[in-house]
Amino acid sequence: MVKASTTENPSQSVSPMQTFFIHLICGVGLAVGLWVAHNFYSISLISNPSRTLRLIWVTMCPLVILFYSCFRKNPEKCSYLKAVIRGVLALPIGALVNALGAIALGAPVGIQYFVPAASVFGSSWEDWRRIFAHTKPNASVDYMICLPAHGAVIGAWFGAWPMPLDWERPWQEWPICVSYGAMAGYLITMVLSFVLVLPRGRQQHPKAD
Amino acid sequence: MMEMGDWWRRGKWRIMVMLTMLHIVGILIFTRGFLLTRTELPYYSNCSDVSESPCFTGQSNPYQNQSNSRCWTRPAVDRLVIIVLDALRFDFVAPSTFFKEPKPWMDKLQVLQKLASTKRSARIFKAIADPPTTSLQRLKGLTTGGLPTFIDVGNSFGAPAILEDNLIHQVDNGCIEHLLPSLYEEDWDVLIAHFLGVDHAGHILGVDSVPMIEKLEQYNEILDKVIEVLDNQSGPGGLHENTFLLVMGDHGQTINGDHGGGSAEEVETSVFAMSFKKPPPTMPSEFDTSSCEMDLDQKKTCISSFQQLDFAATVSALLGVPFPFGRCRPAVICCGQASDAGYLLFSIGRVSPELYTLGAGTWNLENNIEGNCPNQKEEEWMQNYCNVLCINSWQVKRYIDIYSASSVIGFSSEDLLHISDMYAQAEENWSCSSESLLLFKDESCYSSLPLKRKIDAYFKFLLNVAELARSKWTEFDLKMMGIGFVIILISLPIYFLAMMTKSVNGFSSLLFGDSEIFVKLVFALFMVVIRACSFLSNSYILEEGKVASFLLATTAMFKLRNSIKREKMLVEVAVHWASESDVLSSMLMLQGIGRNFIPRIIYAVGLGQLLLLAFSPLFHKDRDLESKMHLLIKTLAMLSSCSSTIIVLSGKQGPLVALVTITGGYCIMRLGNIDRGSTDKVAGILTFDPLSVTQWSLLATCLFFVTGHWCAFDGLRYGAAFIGYDEFVLVRQAILLMIDTFGFSHIIPVFGLPFLVARQKLLGHTDQDGRLLLLQLSQMYLMYGLITAASVIATILCVIIQRRHLMVWGLFAPKFVFDVVGLILTDILICLAWFYYVGRREDGTQLTTLDHRD
Repeated sequence: MVKASTTENPSQSVSPMQTFFIHLICGVGLAVGLWVAHNFYSISLISNPSRTLRLIWVTMCPLVILFYSCFRKNPEKCSYLKAVIRGVLALPIGALVNALGAIALGAPVGIQYFVPAASVFGSSWEDWRRIFAHTKPNASVDYMICLPAHGAVIGAWFGAWPMPLDWERPWQEWPICVSYGAMAGYLITMVLSFVLVLPRGRQQHPKAD
Repeated sequence: MMEMGDWWRRGKWRIMVMLTMLHIVGILIFTRGFLLTRTELPYYSNCSDVSESPCFTGQSNPYQNQSNSRCWTRPAVDRLVIIVLDALRFDFVAPSTFFKEPKPWMDKLQVLQKLASTKRSARIFKAIADPPTTSLQRLKGLTTGGLPTFIDVGNSFGAPAILEDNLIHQVDNGCIEHLLPSLYEEDWDVLIAHFLGVDHAGHILGVDSVPMIEKLEQYNEILDKVIEVLDNQSGPGGLHENTFLLVMGDHGQTINGDHGGGSAEEVETSVFAMSFKKPPPTMPSEFDTSSCEMDLDQKKTCISSFQQLDFAATVSALLGVPFPFGRCRPAVICCGQASDAGYLLFSIGRVSPELYTLGAGTWNLENNIEGNCPNQKEEEWMQNYCNVLCINSWQVKRYIDIYSASSVIGFSSEDLLHISDMYAQAEENWSCSSESLLLFKDESCYSSLPLKRKIDAYFKFLLNVAELARSKWTEFDLKMMGIGFVIILISLPIYFLAMMTKSVNGFSSLLFGDSEIFVKLVFALFMVVIRACSFLSNSYILEEGKVASFLLATTAMFKLRNSIKREKMLVEVAVHWASESDVLSSMLMLQGIGRNFIPRIIYAVGLGQLLLLAFSPLFHKDRDLESKMHLLIKTLAMLSSCSSTIIVLSGKQGPLVALVTITGGYCIMRLGNIDRGSTDKVAGILTFDPLSVTQWSLLATCLFFVTGHWCAFDGLRYGAAFIGYDEFVLVRQAILLMIDTFGFSHIIPVFGLPFLVARQKLLGHTDQDGRLLLLQLSQMYLMYGLITAASVIATILCVIIQRRHLMVWGLFAPKFVFDVVGLILTDILICLAWFYYVGRREDGTQLTTLDHRD
């Protein structure tokens, strides 16, 4: 918490435009993943969940790692490349957390939840704790990461609800409705975080001038 | 006021006993309103009874002298072959042209379809059963002509377990072997063959599967053979000169092969009836309610429908035995389930005109060759039918009279009066009796109008009775249910009051003071509410174990988040999750239990330990309870003495489940410990972590399902009752079964609850007031009881709301029974645990002293 408030560097204060673009790119990336799966491989989340999820993963991963690495915490100490590598390394850890989470929630939330955070914060345990345990985001970047991550988890949690019902729909299978829930939660909270970042951006701009 | 408060404080144990009593009373009242049972009457119909009926006034019963106890009506058929195909859907038999689109499983029983379309003596019926559509229940309904009530269903749910390990194709082999030879024998009047293959194929693979179609094709062959045999012997003087064949289902099934509910697919089954008597019968068209369609070969097939309720009466009318089956000689082969056909009771069914005609029409023709009236055949038929209905109605009336005289939950007096009126109306101007008709016989053809009116009057009477019975026997006593519910509901505020007695202003401090514990309380409440709401849906009840474990995981995550906040460990939660995944794999593994000897020793040792523990306080009266070590040791001792028995009973999975329990409990404890610090200081109101207790009770629920139980009567692990004993003694085996069912989910959690207090004391602040410890313990028990009671109340509420649901007997009622038993058991266990851990004397004095100090 101390670190966050003291290190006031330009790269950290993300403008609303940047936020908007990053969120847009992530959202579009998700959509592209689904679209490619549907049109080129003619599979959907319902008919072939594992392959579709892998496709989404492939499209999302580079996007997320590359873009979020631009907003790394202290750019002078840590190069862009280093941030990218850190993001890549975070993948298996994310997968591990994912596996544990899967038992409880059954959701592939790893990508959205973990990687951006790893790219930005690195190994700063303090920041991790601040974001995920206390839910006290300070800077715009924090909003960008914290809200969608929580949104994905909560979305997945609610996504699990229709699973036991006996409607006998194909999408009631295990990973499908949870994934849909996670995606929905992710997208909604992305919009929400953008809305929250907007006033902050306006405040910061006069200061920078 | 002071006295009152004093009483409250001193008598925590009294409160608990009172709550237990309250629950028991409430549940008893509720159950009385909810689970109505029909009183079975210990009377049988006898031949001589019929002389009391008004149907033969002025003349002696013409059929009385006949041998074979066929005396009530004129026997229309000599022998009856009933082939029951379990779970025979209507569309298995009816031609596919009757349905919107043909499905692969249709048109497989082509023998029946061909006969129905070509012969006038054969016809397909749609029989509509009354839910619940379970086999035993339906067979009973078929033979007695009664309506089902819940307790019967209970027996039926246990039945499938017996047949469970049979493979689909083995099920019917015995049937097939015995059926054909039996047809040539002479020593039976009624032959019943019960084929289970379709039911099994449906249960295992669903309707739309290859084995199902194979099975149907196999039946087609068998039926072909049977009909061939019967047909060959049906000549004059043949063995089957006057035989009546019925191929019927007892209930239908859904596409998935399930049955038990009340959907159209499940209640609609079919009956194929064929008379081998020649020539074929006729029947007045006004009673013919069939609908006709062209079948695949462009031949006309007609299908009528009737209520399954009417089956027993119709068949008895055909056979001429007292309604329904008196004592003819039933030859029941290969089913065992329907073997009580000879001793059944009364029917409220109505003799179905179409089905009756098929058999009964046969002798009309012979008797009236000389008739010169164009519609004399119809007249004859109607007279006979009228006669049958007369006896039918008289018997139904008698049944209703006896029933309402002997049963507590009978019909209301207005209803009875209404029925009597209608019966009198139908009975007056008795004109279908023979002599009144004989008067006109010499003249020209007599008018059929009075006869028809008569029949209509009987119809009206019988239909009314059936409707009334249906509404009464499947009706709930809402007043009783409401009273019971309110009584149980009252217990909730008492729990709250008992928890809050410590200090009244504590409540406000709870709301505005410590925000953290407030958040936790809200979260715990949220979990309980979600769980309660989930009982509203039958699918959630079905998956209750998973729902509970999902919620448990959620609370664990929530706590983990809190603990990270406090910079504490992470490892526990990982272990916790691991333990849950363990649960899934725990179904396998481990084999072999020793012989009877070992379990018995274990029972004995466990019992000995328990007794020792129970009496030890008597010897050390002065022992100071204040040390938490003592409490810990007591808990441990208690658990170790209980657990051995329970683990042995739960068989192969016992040790693993025990491991899971220990890890789960440990994790909850650790998580609870982590954020102790601050809460200890707020000793005023809630001295414990509400979330921990919620988790504890969720864990208990999980354990119930993990150990392989579920809320249904076939979920009971009957095998456990015989560990250590071979012979069956009701009480002993019931106790063992009880311990097995509720051991892990109720006994161990309740006795283990002090761990939550004791451990955190050990780890945390070393010097604590023993009284505070006791206070915490009592509040925890109250909280635990509160959670259990709340979820049971939710179940009861859902049962009330869903009492018209199709799965009410299949799912909601068993769930209700299990929950209610669990609640009473929990209450009693809490009382026991209270006596054990706290004791009466200490409780009173210590709590009051603590209060003074405050």
